[in-house]
This record gives sequence, structure tokens and C-alpha cells, in this order.
Amino acid sequence: MAVLAPPPEPVVAAATTTGGWRRRLSGRRTRFGLLNATPVVVYLLILFVYPIFSTLLLSLKGEDGGFTLHWYTDALTGTSLDILLITLRISAETSVISLVIGFLLAYWITRLRPIWAGLVMLVVVVPHFISALVRTYGWIILLGDHGLVNETLMALHVPGAPFQLLYNELGVVIGTTSVMLPYTVLLLYAVMRGVDRGLIAAAASMGAGRLVTFFRVYLPLVAPGLVNAGILSFILCLGYYLTPALMGGPKQTMVASLIDEQVMKNNQWNGASALGVILLLLTFAGLLLLRLVKSVSEAAKNRGAA
Amino acid sequence: MIGLRDSVAGRVVLAVISLLVLVFLGMPIVLILVTSFGSDALGSFPPESWTMNWYQQLFADGSRWPAALALSATVAALTTVFSVALGMMAAIALVRSDLPMRSAVYGLVLAPLVIPQVVVALGLFLLFEPAAMLGSPIAIALGHTVLATPIAVMILMATLKGIDERLEDAAASMGAGRLTIARRITFPLAAPGVIAAAIFSFITSFDEFFISQFLSSVDTITLPVQVFNVLQFDVDPTVTAVAALLIAVALVALGLVSLLRRFGTGKQGGLLPVDVPAGGDTK
Repeated sequence: MAVLAPPPEPVVAAATTTGGWRRRLSGRRTRFGLLNATPVVVYLLILFVYPIFSTLLLSLKGEDGGFTLHWYTDALTGTSLDILLITLRISAETSVISLVIGFLLAYWITRLRPIWAGLVMLVVVVPHFISALVRTYGWIILLGDHGLVNETLMALHVPGAPFQLLYNELGVVIGTTSVMLPYTVLLLYAVMRGVDRGLIAAAASMGAGRLVTFFRVYLPLVAPGLVNAGILSFILCLGYYLTPALMGGPKQTMVASLIDEQVMKNNQWNGASALGVILLLLTFAGLLLLRLVKSVSEAAKNRGAA
Repeated sequence: MIGLRDSVAGRVVLAVISLLVLVFLGMPIVLILVTSFGSDALGSFPPESWTMNWYQQLFADGSRWPAALALSATVAALTTVFSVALGMMAAIALVRSDLPMRSAVYGLVLAPLVIPQVVVALGLFLLFEPAAMLGSPIAIALGHTVLATPIAVMILMATLKGIDERLEDAAASMGAGRLTIARRITFPLAAPGVIAAAIFSFITSFDEFFISQFLSSVDTITLPVQVFNVLQFDVDPTVTAVAALLIAVALVALGLVSLLRRFGTGKQGGLLPVDVPAGGDTK
């Protein structure tokens, strides 16, 4: 995702000394920047950073007001732990499936003529901008006992039809995959378009077979993009609420649903906060991994160039 | 396996799989658009007979939908104003100045895109609950602004980067004041980008569910929250028509943005040989 790429650093003189800082702060362009950046920074500090910080504080506060970790031990035991594990499992399933399907689709698009590629990308991108809630509702209609999918399967005399496709893990994964897939395809398509076709042709001209070319040349070239897309859809899935809540059964409750339930039904803010912080830590772990993959692949690229 | 020098069989298999995936992506949307005109709005596809009944019922007396629609539109309009204003200033700071700690500011602005929304919603709930602001449309809009601002900033940064800074320098060298430059050069060139940022902010807020739900009260239920409640608790076939309306709003918005892009580039091309007497207008 372009979002995660570090911004290009403006070329400025190194400002290591206090004097350097003062000089920089007094520059006209610097003052202009500070003036314009202040509102958004203040806004996000009050409505984004501070609320998350207070969530953290609340999760460490006992009933008597003192410090405690028992909200975390609660969150990491019993049904709550089960829900965390279910969340991790469903997120993993979703990101792996979107990765495989997304890889095939993105690869196909790179092989199309530009006009067709543009058209297909439209079919991928437009759903991304349509409310996930609405798309989830579409799936509920499609996957019901008398929905289009089961009706079609029965008309084709598929043994065992109608299948139970809703209110189980299959339903949730179908729904979340359809929400995450546009991301994956966009990310992978961007990486694949950057692959130098000359390298593939070179491998082929030196006698490498299709499989060898694919596994030894193409896959290593797109691997960082694959890992990137996989981690990102995993992270986005972790805190996902709508689809699991509407398409899952009691056994597919995910962390976000549990947080919602604790706040809205049980008035249990501390417990909800602890779960939120755990979710946040998992997200940070994913982002860190993303960074790591990036620096490793860059190091590999530099080694290759040297 | 996909051969890179595609064999015919490989190509056919790949095409079939890809087309199936496209159907997978598009089907829920097409289905809702079609069934919203069907006599049995919750079921059979294709519908046995057609009707506008569900759309009429949306606006019938006693319907809860008009209020939800009005609230969502209000909140989305407020969010648009907040996030475009904040986003424009942030984009200017990030693209057109020597900002100290630039990457930290950039990271902070984009962070709401990757932080789980449930955590953001929970935090906002903890912020607004003690202030007795739950159920206030302003509170919901302030929350949505957190999510919409990063999107606005990204669009506006791209817009500003696309504007040749030398045009502004040229105007300045001919004696145009800063306000004149902003009004006569920068703003007209940036207008398509600003409108695109506004449209995406609006849609982000209009479709947002989690923050709206956490900050809602009995009287302030946005459209997505109402849809969710209907899907979870009571069956109301008009929801299909609402879903179709939400799709229509998104499609119109996307259409507008792509029109703007075409229009915008054309205009930029026409403006490049600047024939505006920039010097004569320094008030």
C-alpha cells in the first residue's frame, strides 16, 4: 500500500545542533509549514492519539482505581482467548485465500491488453468503494438456503446441495475475502507491473523451463509484494466487525464483536479496552513485520546489485 | 500452474478462474441492485416480477429511513468540510514547506488508516461519553473526520505535487501577492483535486459504521447503523432498496471523480501557457 511507503525526505541541511534547529525554525518555509501542519496535528492528538491513550490507561485500571493487569489475564483466558484465536485463524484464512486468488487475477490483468486491463481493474476497484455492509448483505442473500448459489448447485444436481453457507466459518471467510480482495489485487498488480519482462525473457532464452522461470525468477521478484499484501490484509481483517457479525454464527465471534458486546451490553469498558489494546499490539506487530520484510528485501536487492 | 510463456491451456484456465473471481467481486452488488426492484426483495433471483414498491415504502409515513438518511447526509457534509479544510492545510505543509519532523507528521496523519477501527471507535466513545456528547451529530462527524482526513490528505498531496511550482514562482516574480497566487493560480489548478477529496471524504463518512454505532443514541442512528440493525434483528424488505441507494450514491460519486479527472487534466493542459495578466491584480 502506498500509504505505508515512507515519504520522500525533503533535502534539508542536517540540523543536529540547537543552533541548526533554531535556524531551521526561523526559516520562512519552515514557519509556513508549521502553521499549516498544526491544525491537523492538534486535531489528531485530541481525537485520535489521546482516545487511544486513554483506552490504554483504562485497560490498566482496577475497580479500586489502582494498577492491575487482570483485564489482560481475563482477555487471555477462557472464551475470550478462544475468540482471539478464532480471530487470528479467520484473518489468516482470509489473507491466504485473498493472496492466492488475488495473485491469479492480478497476473491475468498484467497479461491483458491495456484497454481490457483498465476495464477489469474497474470491476476490481468499484466494489472497494461500495459499503462493505451492503456487499455483506448481498452475500447473505446469495448464500442463503434458497439463495442463488444453492439454487444453482441444486439445479446442477451437485450432491449434498443445498449446503450450509451462512452462519459458519465458510460464510465468514467468503464475506471477508470479498472485502479484502480488491486491496490484494491492487497491491499485487502494482508489484507485477514493475517486473522487468526482460529478465523473464532472459531466463527463457538461456533454456530455463516454465516452472523454473516461474519459481526462480518471477516469484522471487514479486515475493516482497506478496508478503506485503498478505500482512496488510491480515492486519485489516483482525479488527473487522461487520461481516463476521452478520455472516458468522456464535462460533465465529471475532474480537471486534466481543469489544462491541462488552461496551454496549455489559458496560465492561476496562475489559473492552484491554481487548482493544491487544488488537492494537497485534496490528503494530504486523506493521513491524512489514518494515522488516521491506528492509530485508531491500538489502537483498542491494546485494544483488553489488 | 501458470507458465510464464503462457500455454494455451494455461491461459484458458487462468482466464476462467479470473472471470469467476470478477463475478465473485461483482455479484453481491449486482444482486442487490436487481432484487431491489423485485417483488420478493429478500429472495429469488432473477425476480419473478418487478416493482418500485420498496422504494416507495422507504419514504412512506412512519418509515425510519428518511431520518437516518438525513442524519447520515448531515454528518457526511460536516465531515467533508472538516477533513478537506484540515487535509488541505496538512497537504500544503507536507508538500510545499520545510516541515520539521515531516515523516512523523505524515505517519500520524496516515495512521488512522491502519489502526483497527474498533479501537478508534472505542477511544472516541471513552472521549465523548463523559462529555455527554453521545448521539450528537457533531461528535459523529468529528470521529469520521479522523478516518476521512488521511484520504483527503493523500489526494490533495498528489494534486499539489502535480501542480508545477514554477507557475506560482512566475506569478510571484511578476509581482503577484500570495493571496492572488493562491486565488488565481493554485486554487484553480487544485480545484479538481479538492472536489475529489471532498467526494471521498463524504463517501467515507456516509458509509462508516463502527464509529457511528459507538457514538449513536436512540435518536441518532445513521443509515449504515440502521441497515445493520435491520439485518441483525428484524427483517424489513425495504433494506434492499436502502442498500441499492447506498450503491447508487457510491457509483455516482465514483463517476463524478472520474469525470473530474478527465476535465481536470484538460483544464490544466489549457492553463499551462499562462495568459492571465498576473501582475495587474495585486490587491
